[in-house]
Amino acid sequence: MDRALFTLNGIKPVLWKLGSLTVLQSVMIILQAYALAEAISSLFRGDLLPTVMDELAIYLCALLFRQLLAVLKKNIAFHFAAQTSESLRKSLVQKLFHLGPQYVREAGTGQTVTLVMDGLLKFRRYIELIIVKTMNMSIIPTAIIVYSFWFHTRSAIILLAVMPILIVFMILLGLAARSKADRQFHTYQLLANHFVDSLRGLETLKYLGLSKQHVKNIKKVSENYRSATISTLKIAFLSTFALDFFTMLSIATVAVFLGLGLIDGAIPLPTALTILILAPEYFLPVREFGADYHATLDGKNAGEKISAILTETALLPSKEELPIWTPSCELSLHGLNVQYSENHHAGLKDIEFFIKGSKRIGIIGASGAGKSTLINLLSGFISPLSGEFQLNEKKLSSLSFHDWQKQITYIPQNPYIFNDTMINNIRFYEPTATEWEVKEAIKHAGLLEVVQSLPEGMETLIGEGGRTLSGGQEQRIAIARAFLGRRPIILLDEPTAHLDIETEAELKETMLKLFSGKLVFFATHRIHWMREMDEIIVLDNGQIVETGTHQQLMEQKSAYYRLVQAQKGEF
Amino acid sequence: MEKEKWILPYLFQYRRLFFLSCLLGTLTLLLGGALMFTSGYLISKSATRPESILMVYVPIVGVRAFGLGRAVFSYVERLFSHSFILKILSSLRVKLYKLVEPKAISIQTAFRTGDMLGLLANDIELLQNFYLRTLFPSIVSLTVYTVVIICSGLFSLPFAILLFVLIGQLVFVGPAVSLIIVKKKNLTIKKARNVLYQQFTDGIMGISDWIISGNYPKYIDDYVIQEQALYGMEKKKQTFVNWRDLGSQLVLGISVIASIAWAGGMAENGELSPVFIAAIGLSMISLLESFLPLSDVISETAIYQDSFQRLEMAGSNKHYESNENTAANKSLPADSALLIEMVQLTFGYTQETHLLNHINTSIKPGEKIAVIGRSGSGKSTLLKLIQGYLPPLSGEVRINGQNVVDLRPEMAKWISVLNQKAYLFNTSIMNNIRLGNPNASDEEVRKVCKLVQLDEMIIQLPNGYETNMQETGQRFSGGERQRVALARILLQNTPIVLLDEPTVGLDPITEVKLLKTIFETLKDKTIIWVTHHLAGVECMDRILFLDRGVISMEGSHRFLMETEEKYRRLYHLDHPFEA
Repeated sequence: MDRALFTLNGIKPVLWKLGSLTVLQSVMIILQAYALAEAISSLFRGDLLPTVMDELAIYLCALLFRQLLAVLKKNIAFHFAAQTSESLRKSLVQKLFHLGPQYVREAGTGQTVTLVMDGLLKFRRYIELIIVKTMNMSIIPTAIIVYSFWFHTRSAIILLAVMPILIVFMILLGLAARSKADRQFHTYQLLANHFVDSLRGLETLKYLGLSKQHVKNIKKVSENYRSATISTLKIAFLSTFALDFFTMLSIATVAVFLGLGLIDGAIPLPTALTILILAPEYFLPVREFGADYHATLDGKNAGEKISAILTETALLPSKEELPIWTPSCELSLHGLNVQYSENHHAGLKDIEFFIKGSKRIGIIGASGAGKSTLINLLSGFISPLSGEFQLNEKKLSSLSFHDWQKQITYIPQNPYIFNDTMINNIRFYEPTATEWEVKEAIKHAGLLEVVQSLPEGMETLIGEGGRTLSGGQEQRIAIARAFLGRRPIILLDEPTAHLDIETEAELKETMLKLFSGKLVFFATHRIHWMREMDEIIVLDNGQIVETGTHQQLMEQKSAYYRLVQAQKGEF
Repeated sequence: MEKEKWILPYLFQYRRLFFLSCLLGTLTLLLGGALMFTSGYLISKSATRPESILMVYVPIVGVRAFGLGRAVFSYVERLFSHSFILKILSSLRVKLYKLVEPKAISIQTAFRTGDMLGLLANDIELLQNFYLRTLFPSIVSLTVYTVVIICSGLFSLPFAILLFVLIGQLVFVGPAVSLIIVKKKNLTIKKARNVLYQQFTDGIMGISDWIISGNYPKYIDDYVIQEQALYGMEKKKQTFVNWRDLGSQLVLGISVIASIAWAGGMAENGELSPVFIAAIGLSMISLLESFLPLSDVISETAIYQDSFQRLEMAGSNKHYESNENTAANKSLPADSALLIEMVQLTFGYTQETHLLNHINTSIKPGEKIAVIGRSGSGKSTLLKLIQGYLPPLSGEVRINGQNVVDLRPEMAKWISVLNQKAYLFNTSIMNNIRLGNPNASDEEVRKVCKLVQLDEMIIQLPNGYETNMQETGQRFSGGERQRVALARILLQNTPIVLLDEPTVGLDPITEVKLLKTIFETLKDKTIIWVTHHLAGVECMDRILFLDRGVISMEGSHRFLMETEEKYRRLYHLDHPFEA
């Protein structure tokens, strides 16, 4: 059993309970076999059926009691597994929210959801199965061996000797199968993915005029895959074969030795029969342990992934009070460094700047220069490795404060539209806003026409399960949220990069209206916005290389100027 | 009903393997029974203290033979059944592919086409579990059941009827009740899970908004409470399963007792030697145990329902289908200059709402056209109409006077396409590019790579042109991937190239560079380029603005700059600091 399991909260009393129930269950198994053997033997001796009624009744009761114990054990395990997974779930989801959007994006939204929903379920199944199976495997065979030793040492020795042989064989064959599978892993992957790959790329195949003849490839690859799989299975199934082989062989051998013992008169028939009935029971827990091995493996892996996330260091948003941003407020960043463990995204180096009051700050730079990272830092989603913020007089190590985030409107490239009504989407930040207030926001955001065209107006379902909106309309929802919230700080991360030019032109007017009187940080590639900014921060490779107004920076003919020139292109 | 299409024909096609697998499966179970039977007989016989061990020689050999036979048969059976299922899988893949191939381009779903098709591929894989875990065990159990009833019937009809009823509880009643109850419970649980899945995805996708709103602790609490409700449902199901299993065990116990009692009675009357009592009792235990998992197996079939439904959908004709058989299979002379004409072209997915309305224009050989419009204005649809993959409601597209619908089967000879995110297959760079022209030599592939400025980068990779495309997905940037696709199109070498927003998602500098390469390498060809903004439009001969299904502005860059105020305004957004 996996060591990590022992660290689970409250597992010890559960194991004790399961252990004692299993001991009781072993007694029932033996009693069941014994009663049946007694009944058969006396019938064999010529006793009449009514005389063995007691034994048969004991047999049936033992059988029922044994199964009841099994149900009880299952329930205990089920309950414990559910409890464990519930408490893990809560801390896991909390952790995800503390780790923030950056982490989720890197881990992949789909994978994160799957881990929480399916991974936890698999882990629960794993705990549920493994604790019962482990108990069964360690207690039941032992009890049967002890019983057999008492009455017929030879059988016990056979049974005892087979077990290690059996396990060694299973391990050896399992390893052989794995090494064969490993050797073929690369081919396997290609073959297994070929079909998915073909279907996903079907459109492209069609454009290339190859889609018709590709059927031949699918046939061929499928056939290759089949023969490769079969040749691996031939070895993989050997381990089950070994299990079957040794089980059957030892039952057969035990039967023969019991027979010889009977001929010599060394043991009475009932004992011999009992041991014979117990022989398959001896191997049952081992077989069960091997069954749904993959399910348990999946669960174990999921458990490992979950604990890996739980041990990540996360940012706990501070509840400390911060002042509301007013035109007299000051924010400065001193020597901030951000570094990512994996070099997928650029970090930031020695970020230093100062802002006073409500200004519009443009953040520009080539892709990978660190624009999004800076926005994430300002929104308190991530914390710097070193350096500090200073808000008025207060020194802060990060901006992950409830009081800071409460002042922010964050507009990303693709604002997320919740699977809810239009009105609830707009008042997401202000759940208590009145209908009238939402209507005003809709008007300001230029959504009125859209709302009027919807069948149920503001009550229409939008998002994933409802009506789909265009990219421009989604941006307008975000803007409506901002109008409604009247928060003093706006952070924008490439809000128009994916929009068509006409939509962008229309949005620009609305957005500029929104910006008035607010502190705006606007990260974008689209240079035309820079004209509207009070100050521009030019990032390159994680560092601020220039700051100033558009005019100043154009005159400097340095990084910003080069960026503008490069984008212009000369066709 | 749906199962007929995806299952029955294949059972028939591979009937030999199927029959063999079932036979071996049955024999495996029967041999297990035979082993216990012989063991019981051996022991009882020995208990009569025969003078010589030779008297029990036959059962001793039998015990060993049956034991080993069982192991061997079970091994062979697993190989056969897997070989059977893998063969079926091969056929199913081909079948699915042939079903969706004609509609690859016109499939209309909420998903992106590729994702939808990927899902179908997984459904096929899931079907193998249906065969292995449900179909085979059910058939094998039914066969063993029949054999047991017939064998007991040979001795005594009443006993056979008793067993028929008792084991029938395990083979029919248990599974039937489970099917009704557990399947229903499974469906409720699945539905609840799907709802929760959506909600949770919703929360994670909107994680930034939740954090900034400060309301996320409430969200977490709500989610955890819902999960607990789900757990409650699962617990109910578990309770049912537990009691059902207990019931099955009770039936098993009673059947064993009945068999022993019957055998005892027969022995009493002298109709049966007493040595068989133990044999019958022990073999019954072994055989009956094989019926126990049946209820579970049958009730879990709900899992496959979605897959069956999706596959069924893929096979149905509900989708917009471009039936290639209707194409007249006409051809165009090679190396001719191609003139594209759109005449009164009207398209809509329904008769009422038109996405494109009476479009009239013609595109001369070698002309470069940019098509601009909002999302949903029908730009991409126009490209599909030009290739004949969508049927116009009225009007037509002609190439050199031929209706494109008739040219469809050979369309890849005349028109190539560069998409938003060109699909690159999970194979080497060399193979990916060579898809453009399967007969191209390595030299030719290198030549086009030089043209798209990839050669230098590729030869620096450890495996050069043999580097796998997907594996190194991290190493290839969006711009580079588009260049690989462009190289493929250069090999395809068609007179007309359609560009469907090939630079979307790229940063402006990468975009400008890629566009330059595209225009340079395609300078001799007709280009129809769908774009969402105005970077690079100066190089086009003509710019078309699509708005609400009609062409709202049309002309060269210079002409539009001079005559259209709106165009000037838009152009300045993209080129803010030019005169």
